[in-house]
Amino acid sequence: MLDAMSDKLAIEVEKVSFNYAKLKALSDLSLRIPRGISFGVLGPNGAGKTTLIRLLVGLLKQKEGRIQLLGQHPTRQMAHLIGYMPQQHSLYNELSVAQNVDFFAKIYRLKNRTERAKRVEEVLRLVNLWERRNDGIMKLSGGMKQRVSLACAIVHNPPLLFLDEPTVGLDPELRANFWQHFANLNSRGVTIIVSSHTMDDAAHCNRLAFLRSGRVIAEGTPLQLCQATGKPDATLEEAFLYFVRREGKNDA
Amino acid sequence: MMPSHALTIAGRIFNQVVRDRRTFALIMIVPIVVMTLIWLSFPKEMGMLDYIAPALLATLAIFFGFLLTGISFLRERSQGTLERLMASPVSRSDIVLGYLFGFFIFALAQTVIILFYTIYVLDVHYTGDLWQIFVFQILVLICAINLGIFISTFARNEFQMVQFIPLIILPQVFLCGVLWPVEQMSTALQWVAKFLPLTYAVDGLREIMLQGKSLIEVGFDLGILVAFAVGISLITAFTLKRSAGS
Repeated sequence: MLDAMSDKLAIEVEKVSFNYAKLKALSDLSLRIPRGISFGVLGPNGAGKTTLIRLLVGLLKQKEGRIQLLGQHPTRQMAHLIGYMPQQHSLYNELSVAQNVDFFAKIYRLKNRTERAKRVEEVLRLVNLWERRNDGIMKLSGGMKQRVSLACAIVHNPPLLFLDEPTVGLDPELRANFWQHFANLNSRGVTIIVSSHTMDDAAHCNRLAFLRSGRVIAEGTPLQLCQATGKPDATLEEAFLYFVRREGKNDA
Repeated sequence: MMPSHALTIAGRIFNQVVRDRRTFALIMIVPIVVMTLIWLSFPKEMGMLDYIAPALLATLAIFFGFLLTGISFLRERSQGTLERLMASPVSRSDIVLGYLFGFFIFALAQTVIILFYTIYVLDVHYTGDLWQIFVFQILVLICAINLGIFISTFARNEFQMVQFIPLIILPQVFLCGVLWPVEQMSTALQWVAKFLPLTYAVDGLREIMLQGKSLIEVGFDLGILVAFAVGISLITAFTLKRSAGS
C-alpha cells in the first residue's frame, strides 16, 4: 500500500533539516508531492524556500532526514530528470538566446544535432522568443531573460521541474502565459515545484505549502487553506496570515 | 566524468569570447603592448633583456592565464550559471576540464603572440629549440589556468578576485627568480620560493632559452609543474562544492 502510494509521489521529503553554519534554514520539514501537479512553496523572504529547492535539485546536502525523487534516492544519474530555473536569470550574457538554450540541450545529452535544433526551436517558440533567437542576452528585457531561463530549464523535457521565483519581474500578461504553460506541462505529467512569495502565483497551484522560519505551517489545496480560516470568502493572503498567527500562538 | 561535457563547456567558452569582440581584441593586443613597454624600459646594452625575457615570458603566461580564467570562472558563479550547471548531469571535473580546454585556446594564442613577438620583433636572442620553449610554455599555461580556477573559488566578486593578483602573482615576481636569483634571497624566502610554480617555470624556461637545454634536461622543473597542475585541478574539483551559488 505504502509502495503504491510512493509510486504516485514525485517528491517525498521526510523530517529534513538544514543549517547554514549556525543559522537554521529548514527544521524537521516533511512534504509529499504527487506527480503531475504544480506545487507552490510559499513564504516570506528567508522562509527557506530557496534552500528547500536547492536541496531537492542536489545543490545542497541535508544533514538530517530523507529525500526521494520519483521514488528513488536522488543521485547524479537522476540529474537529467530534473529541470531547474534558479532565482537569477543564470544565462550567458555573451551568447545569443539560441546558443544559451542549445548549450543546456547539449549538457542534458541531446546529442543529435537535428533533434537538438528542433527541440531548441520548439521551446523558443513556446516562450515566444523564436524571433529573437539570434539576439544577445544583454539586448533582452528582464521578462525575456526569464523566458530564456525557462526554456533552458525545460529543453530536455524533464519530468520534474523546479522553478525558484519564476514570475518575479514579469508583467501580468506574461505571468498568465507562464502559468498557462505550466498547466500544459502538468497535463503531460510534469511535476512543477514553484517557490514564490506572491499569492497571485499561489492561486495557480494545485497544492501549496506555506513556509515560515524553515517550517511548513500549512499544506493543502488553495481552497482547503482558505476554508481553514473559517471565513467563506478568505483570500490566500488571509489564509497565510491566519496560519502565521496560529503558529505564533502555538509557539507561545 | 564525461569528456563530451567538458568539450561542450569548452565550446561554449570559445563562443562567449569570440562573440565579445572587444574582449577578444584585448586578449590578442594586450600582450604585445605589455611586452613592447617592457622592451622600451630596458637598457639595450649588456643583453639584459635576453637574460630576463624567459622569466618575463613565464610570468606573463602565468599572469594572463590566471587573470583570464579566474575572472571568467568567477563570472560563472556570480551570474548563477555555475549553480545551474551543478544541478545538471555535469560533474565538477567536467567543469574544471571544460574551463581548462576552453581558456587554453586563448591563453595559448596569447603565449604564441608574446613568444613570436619577443623573438622576431623585439629581437630577443635564444639558444634552445623553439618547439621545446613552446611545449614548456604550454605546461606553464596549464598551471596558470588551473590556478586561476582554484583561486576564483575563494572570491565572491570581481573586486575580491582582483585583490588576489597582488597576493598570488606579485609575490611570485619577487620571489621566483624573475628579477634576481633565488639563491641570493634569505633561506626562509628560498623555502617559500620552492612552493611557487613560477620558480620552476622561470628556471626551466631560462635553461632552455639561454643554455639550450632540452625538455628532458629540465625534467625536474617540468615534473614539478605537471604535479602542480594535476594537484591544483584535483583540489579545485574537490573545492568546487555543489553549493555553487551560495
